Amino acid sequence: MGAENDLSIRNRIQALLDRDDAHLWLFAAGTLFLTVLPLALNTFWTRIALGVLLWVGLAQSWNMIGGYAGYLDFGHGAYFGAGAFVTGIVMTELELPFVAGLLIAGVFCAVLAYAVGVPTLRLSGAYFAIATWAFAEAIKELALIIEITGGTYGMTIPTGPGTAGIPLVGWPDEMFFYYLMLVLTLGTIALAYWLFEHSEFGFRVKAIRDHEDAAQSLGIDATKIKRRVYVLSCAIAALFGSANAYYITFVHPNDVLAPIITDQMIIMALLGGLGTIGGPIIGGVLIFLLNRMTSLFLGQTTLYLPLIGVLIMGIVLFAPSGVVGILRGEVGREDVKRNLRELAEKFNIL
Amino acid sequence: MVSTELLGQSIVNGLLLGGIYVTVGVGFALVFGVLEIIDFAVGEYVMLGAFMGAIVAPVVGGEGLFVVPLAFVAFFLVGMIVQPFLHHVTTGDRPMPLLMGLVFTFGLAIFMRGSVLTIFGPNTRAVPTKTLEGGIDVTGIGTFPEVRVVTAVVGVLALVAFMYYLYRTTGGTAIRAIAEDRDIARLMGVNINRYQSIAYGVYAGLTATGGVFIGLIYSAGPGMGLQYTAFAFFMIVLAGLGYLPGIIISGLVLGLAQSLTAVYIGGELVFFVLFGMIYVLLLVRPEGLLGKGEVS
Amino acid sequence: MSETLLQTDGLTKRFGALTANDGITLGVDRGEIRGIIGPNGSGKTTFFNSLTGFYTPDAGTVTFEGTDITGWDSHRIARQGIGRTFQIAAPFGNMTVRQNMLAVQTPKSVDEHERAQEILEFLDIDHIADDDASGMSGGQKKLLGLGRVLMLDPACILLDEPTAGVNPALADRILDHLRDLNDDGTTFLIIEHDMDVLKQIVDTVSVLDQGQHIVQGTFDEVSTDDRVREAYLGSADEDEVPI
Repeated sequence: MGAENDLSIRNRIQALLDRDDAHLWLFAAGTLFLTVLPLALNTFWTRIALGVLLWVGLAQSWNMIGGYAGYLDFGHGAYFGAGAFVTGIVMTELELPFVAGLLIAGVFCAVLAYAVGVPTLRLSGAYFAIATWAFAEAIKELALIIEITGGTYGMTIPTGPGTAGIPLVGWPDEMFFYYLMLVLTLGTIALAYWLFEHSEFGFRVKAIRDHEDAAQSLGIDATKIKRRVYVLSCAIAALFGSANAYYITFVHPNDVLAPIITDQMIIMALLGGLGTIGGPIIGGVLIFLLNRMTSLFLGQTTLYLPLIGVLIMGIVLFAPSGVVGILRGEVGREDVKRNLRELAEKFNIL
Repeated sequence: MVSTELLGQSIVNGLLLGGIYVTVGVGFALVFGVLEIIDFAVGEYVMLGAFMGAIVAPVVGGEGLFVVPLAFVAFFLVGMIVQPFLHHVTTGDRPMPLLMGLVFTFGLAIFMRGSVLTIFGPNTRAVPTKTLEGGIDVTGIGTFPEVRVVTAVVGVLALVAFMYYLYRTTGGTAIRAIAEDRDIARLMGVNINRYQSIAYGVYAGLTATGGVFIGLIYSAGPGMGLQYTAFAFFMIVLAGLGYLPGIIISGLVLGLAQSLTAVYIGGELVFFVLFGMIYVLLLVRPEGLLGKGEVS
Repeated sequence: MSETLLQTDGLTKRFGALTANDGITLGVDRGEIRGIIGPNGSGKTTFFNSLTGFYTPDAGTVTFEGTDITGWDSHRIARQGIGRTFQIAAPFGNMTVRQNMLAVQTPKSVDEHERAQEILEFLDIDHIADDDASGMSGGQKKLLGLGRVLMLDPACILLDEPTAGVNPALADRILDHLRDLNDDGTTFLIIEHDMDVLKQIVDTVSVLDQGQHIVQGTFDEVSTDDRVREAYLGSADEDEVPI
């Protein structure tokens, strides 16, 4: 019995290691590449790379509640914006350095998300989606009215890495912010990977998403776990909101609380593949570059919107498991054909 | 004396506005009942209707009212084409069909808004009218712009026609049967595809018609849709999802609330109160106000 | 000699005008295998749902190992030691068989990796432990469903049609497993339509009809009882007469 157990445990560890290895090396290589990347980029491209990192991180944060837990949070951007304003208020009103603003934004939004999550997570499906959407819009309207956020005038944040409390003489701002985003984004990816792909916590989250009743009957406290995922994903969005606010130095409710912020997170996660680690990374890179490139080469930023719209509809129609699903071979030519045939049947209205 | 006059005026104005909102909400509620779809594009149909008014009216003699039947027919057809896609993405073996449906309408909304923005630019346009420029005097209360009164009346007529179709014709009966129980309707020989498409077509047509009215009263702008999506959500949340008679009340309540808050509380608070109420109503009465209970 | 493990007293659940469970009083001894039968719509699954906290009973109590667990959350009841399976055995998707097992909230004292391995070996599905669970056959899914419940180390397991839709050879295997577990002291409540299956395994049978617990006894006693015949014959569909 003992020997048999040893063998099985070793096998098991081996199997885990095999899989871990691949991912770990990939992560290490990616980290190295991204660390040296700015050396090869000018200011313009550093800013683009910085934006990619920001959006990959945000998409991953949405993916936690939307993809892994299956709760359609249509108001995630509220925390991005709240994080921005909290940071701004901490830095201007309290005159504390950025690091304090970042931490306070994270903690404040975690508490806010807990308070919001307790009643809101009781709703399911479409009701949760509408409720979070309405909540985010209400937050935006509130930020436009109250004084502390600057109302319709917005808010200016002290600039420069110096205010971070870290002396970085001679460093260009872009570099500082690039590495700030890099740390946040890599941290988010590593956390998501460990939490959702490798720990029992993540298995429980997926179990609740797939079959909440069965999960409950297996001793899983669905309410508590969903709440934790929601708080975590919202707090991460707040950290990115905080870093971004410090980077752009001027925050306005119509920018940082715009519905398009949430829209983009959802679209990126969906395009890449919901409930996967790779999905938000792929989706974040593709969509952000599409956004920047259309404005760069066509000189007209709004064309990006209809393109995004068509893209969303196309993914939902033909590749609901996203790019990751295509890479895994889940969406072949046959599937597309079958999809089209079934769609054609729906047009049979006579 | 002045304040009573103002109050009376606000109430009448609110009711007139509410009549138009009902035309938007009633189709939205129908689509939820029949298709079990919550359409994030609802406000964009309003926007497209208003834009159609602004662009087509000069062609038809500069009269926005003439666009009303055209908008209904045009968007009825658009809806007939859109619905099979929606039906397709919410059925079959795809994961999280509810998410897929919501996100699809989301994509549709962004596509509509983005297209109009790209083609026509960000400026707002007036929907011209020649006949509705005067005011109507109501003794003791005040003067009301003709355009508000006439659009409200036409809106109510459209609503009556809609209700007649739904409750007095074969097609309407089929649609209600689907809303009641899809499987039984299928067993009874109802062509589900056809009547779902018709239902969505009627919804798109009615909503765009409401859009022409709204364009006549205010103006048409590519960014106006979101507001009406919010209004539509507010109406169905208040009435109970899929509960048609409730929409008439909640539409009027919405019109009144908008007009009274604007006058007495201040315009900037309107949307905060509106969104806040949607959120709180959902939390407090998730199944009570929503006639049909939880979506599974 | 025998100790009552699970006891319901006047358990009642209503849905609007329909009383799905009407004052069910039923006791199960430790170590027993109890069959629950009754015509369609007699309230069997509702009874399971009320027992396991998915429904809050309108009246009555549930006592388990001397503790009143009426109205507890379902996850707490599971942790207290009542496991259950569902009619449709659906594994959690995008996860391996082993990860499905590890998702279960095991008691704190248990090494979950070790326990998962033991159970998978016991059920003879350890060779597919690291395969994607959604690729399993129907029978294997049933075994995984049972395996997940065993992770809870439950004193009592409620099974909703454990052999439905499974080929006879595998059904026999499942029954063997249940007997083994029962020999080790696990108590079972089993909803089963297939009387041939039930006959092989149960100690006693409780019959529900129109939400009421009408008869209790051994399989033979129950199968010759007039009230039971009437309950089944009274239903519209003659195919449902099991005995």
